Amino acid sequence: MANVAFILLGALIIVGAIITVAARNAVHAALGLVGTLIALAGMYATMNASFVSVVQVIVYAGAVMVLFLFVIMLLNANLPVSGNNPVPYVTEIAAIGGALLASAFVVLAFTYSDPKPLAQAAAQLQNGAPGPVGETLLTRFLLPFEAVSILLLVAVVGSVALVQRPVVQPDAVTEGAAQSGKEVRA
Amino acid sequence: MVSTGSYLALSGILFAIGMYGVLTRRTAVMVFLSVELMLNAANLSLVAFARAWGDLTAQTAVFIVMTLAAAEVAIGLAIIVTIFRKRETTNVDNLSELKG
Repeated sequence: MANVAFILLGALIIVGAIITVAARNAVHAALGLVGTLIALAGMYATMNASFVSVVQVIVYAGAVMVLFLFVIMLLNANLPVSGNNPVPYVTEIAAIGGALLASAFVVLAFTYSDPKPLAQAAAQLQNGAPGPVGETLLTRFLLPFEAVSILLLVAVVGSVALVQRPVVQPDAVTEGAAQSGKEVRA
Repeated sequence: MVSTGSYLALSGILFAIGMYGVLTRRTAVMVFLSVELMLNAANLSLVAFARAWGDLTAQTAVFIVMTLAAAEVAIGLAIIVTIFRKRETTNVDNLSELKG
């Protein structure tokens, strides 16, 4: 049963990832990534991580991907870039490098041996419920937790500062131009 | 139960696919999507290790990674929108010099 779930969800994850990197249209790529993220959430649910699974759907597959799709639509970036790639053989080099990296990871992964029996370790996780996870977050991870709050504040202020339109300086233009500028903004 | 090695192998394959995307795609938004794949591969191996060791610490680290990814997307997409307003393109080949 667990093996069937792993194979199905793993196939969905790989197919979604391949769609993400190979699709010509950016909207298709974003939707492939949504599929990968939702399948990953299912994978977390089978690994005694219920809270991580729920947050994955809400934050990643929900908020982050809506932001991505919004920007793709806003910039009309859904069409592929045409013309020759200025870097020679980049596709071939990336394919060989990716294949080498993947095979190295696979070999490394199967040399990993568990420190204790899996069923015994999984019982200690309390199914990854919000309570125990939050307790770890606010005791052992208190400093990173507070640092992340500062990071989020900086990200919010920074993105608002980046996308605001430049303000017309009233003393740099004539009276009439400043007036019409105000009307355009209004 | 599925062995930890299987999850780690899946995570490694996902990471390699994301790396291929980062190296070959030429639109800045697509490079970002591939970076998200690599971050998710890291999250998958963190959850697998949490299950192998019976310790919630690694599961909690996943939340830190997710928050970092959300902040990266917010600030990165704002930068992409700003560049698009100035240059009318988000092709990373045309953005290779750091002049305003």
